[in-house]
Amino acid sequence: MRTPIAYFLVASAALFTIGSVGVLVRRNALVIFMSVELQLNAVNLALVAFSRMHGSLDGQVLAFFSMVVAAAEVVVGLAIIVSVYRRRRSADVDDVNLLKW
Amino acid sequence: MLRQVWLVPALPLAGFVVCLFAGTRLGRYAGWLASALVVASFGIGLGVFSDLVSLPDASRHVVRHLYEWIAVGGFRVAVDLRVDPLSMTMALVVTGVGAIIHVYSIGYMDGDPRYGRFFAYMNLFVFFMLTLVLAENFLLLYVGWEGVGLCSYLLIGFWHERPAAASAAKKAFVVTRIGDTFMLVGIALIFLRLGSLDFTAVLRIPCGPGQHCPPAITTDTGVSTVIALLLFAGAIGKSAQVPLHVWLPDAMEGPTPVSALIHAATMVTAGVYLVARTHVLFEVSGVALTVVLVVGLVTALYAATVALAQDDFKRVLAWSTISQLGFMFTALGLRAYWAAIFLLVTHAFYKALLFLSAGSVMHALDGETDLKKMGGLRRTMPITAVVCSIGALALAGIPPFAGFFSKDDVLAVANQSGHALAWLIALVAAFFSALYMARLVFLAFFGEERTERYAHEAPPVMTVPLGLLAVGAAFGGFLGANETRGLLQTFLAPVLGKVREPTQGLSGPALALISVGVAALAIAVGWLVYGSGRIDWVALRVRLSSLHRFLARGWYVDDAYAAVLVSPAKAGSAFLAYVVDARLVDGLVNASGQLVRWLASVGRRVQTGFVRNYALAILLGALVLLVYVGLRI
Repeated sequence: MRTPIAYFLVASAALFTIGSVGVLVRRNALVIFMSVELQLNAVNLALVAFSRMHGSLDGQVLAFFSMVVAAAEVVVGLAIIVSVYRRRRSADVDDVNLLKW
Repeated sequence: MLRQVWLVPALPLAGFVVCLFAGTRLGRYAGWLASALVVASFGIGLGVFSDLVSLPDASRHVVRHLYEWIAVGGFRVAVDLRVDPLSMTMALVVTGVGAIIHVYSIGYMDGDPRYGRFFAYMNLFVFFMLTLVLAENFLLLYVGWEGVGLCSYLLIGFWHERPAAASAAKKAFVVTRIGDTFMLVGIALIFLRLGSLDFTAVLRIPCGPGQHCPPAITTDTGVSTVIALLLFAGAIGKSAQVPLHVWLPDAMEGPTPVSALIHAATMVTAGVYLVARTHVLFEVSGVALTVVLVVGLVTALYAATVALAQDDFKRVLAWSTISQLGFMFTALGLRAYWAAIFLLVTHAFYKALLFLSAGSVMHALDGETDLKKMGGLRRTMPITAVVCSIGALALAGIPPFAGFFSKDDVLAVANQSGHALAWLIALVAAFFSALYMARLVFLAFFGEERTERYAHEAPPVMTVPLGLLAVGAAFGGFLGANETRGLLQTFLAPVLGKVREPTQGLSGPALALISVGVAALAIAVGWLVYGSGRIDWVALRVRLSSLHRFLARGWYVDDAYAAVLVSPAKAGSAFLAYVVDARLVDGLVNASGQLVRWLASVGRRVQTGFVRNYALAILLGALVLLVYVGLRI
């Protein structure tokens, strides 16, 4: 008996929501980053689930792509956060609001 | 030489190009070069003329084809030069008098910072005037017509640092342009109705019953009236006739040789030439001839009265030019075309002479032109006094000087063709003409000296041209001394028709006696008032001050134009500029800018700079898309 796809999707949606809320409410750049990773992995989970449902490997391949991209993005993002912290002694995103009206 | 006729206009054109680009490098030689080229042009003109004379009477019109200019469908215009008695007469007057004035200018313009430029413009003017008179079709004539307008603008405003000169140049250009526009419409109408612009095709001469005539013209007097009047409007503008005469007196702001060349001897005669050239159209119309006659008479009388009250030496001559042109148009209106051309030729001599004498006086008195500040100049400037008197006597119509024969011809034709009223008006105008010339000469050259300056005679480069013109003014009249079989009359007959034998009116000698009597009377009156010293003319002027002001200001015509045309036009322009443009158009532009600024000031608040706001926006956007997609399914 296979686990119904709904379980995976609910889990994925729950993870995505947690990630979204984390991005929106937290102020520490590192935590926001972690939340973003959570969202990405929620999507990966959904992709794999659909892949299994359809019996094709497309979804899994796409999941690998997103992991690779996420890894690259983490490198760039962490570098930015480190350099912002060095300059301002803070990782609070609300302190970095120069680009505005 | 007939084939080389193109050299006649080409030489002044070459002079223009050289003087324009190398004028400063040539220095003093620019004047000599320009003069030499016009003299050479005159020489070639004489050669062409002698070839023309050697042809039999009937075949004395040669068209020299230079090149095809415009060929669009049925519309063909070529650059063709026409050699016939009328065009050669005009070309010889233009180059002959023009050459003399060029030589005079060498002395007069000496030391001017734009010496080379001046001669470039003078040569260009001669070129365009020759194009005008030698053209074989209306469009090429129009090119020359506009070209002389351009040159008059450039030369009147030659000293454009002076505001008066700059505005006079503008006025001349704009006022003549009014006539030019009518003329262009007339030319378009000629092509529309006759399918050609060539003189040979349009103006078949002679065009009597039983001969081949242009179809539309002969059958439709209405069309020919419209065309003739439109062409005449152009002539009115260029020849400074009422009501477009206002530019000529102001044009005296230009250097004096310019006044002599453009506003006396040649350019203003273009209108006379045009009407004489196209007289076939005027004859078919009939009405148009009457209009020409009336305009000519009114101008002749009006301008002569105004000339009486001018204090400026050159302005007297300017108004006198307008009046004399009025005489020419009177002759044209009376169908005595040869008389108009005869007067044109003699007038070119004596008016150029008078203007150059004025220049000589100004040269001696540091640019003084006020007659009230002259007087007694005959003692210090004997040559100028003598030649100026010759010019004045010629204009007044005292035999044997040139003006006597030509003006007497006009008066005689008026009388003998049964236009008694026209004759009387012209006689009164002739009286005033002699009177203002007498006033000019007596005030400037006789009586006690009223100037502090040391007057001196001009250098030979100026007095020799004066002498040459004086010879022309003294003896030019013998070209047409015999009323019906004079040299000029027979020569022009193939183009302008034979002189008609008088059928009514007084006999020739009686008329001559009357006109000489009138002129002599006017000179006597002039001597009594201005020369004898028995009448205090200054006191007389004060007593008649309102009449004097009326005449001096040209019957307030300029003021009327200012009130009726210029002021409303200025007010309308001010309304358009300061209300419509500054408020409405600029307001719309500014308002659209303000709107964008306001929208931006509201919209830019969206950019908070807080990362989480952007993240929320992305999320909401994604949700909206999701809901939308979900609803569609």
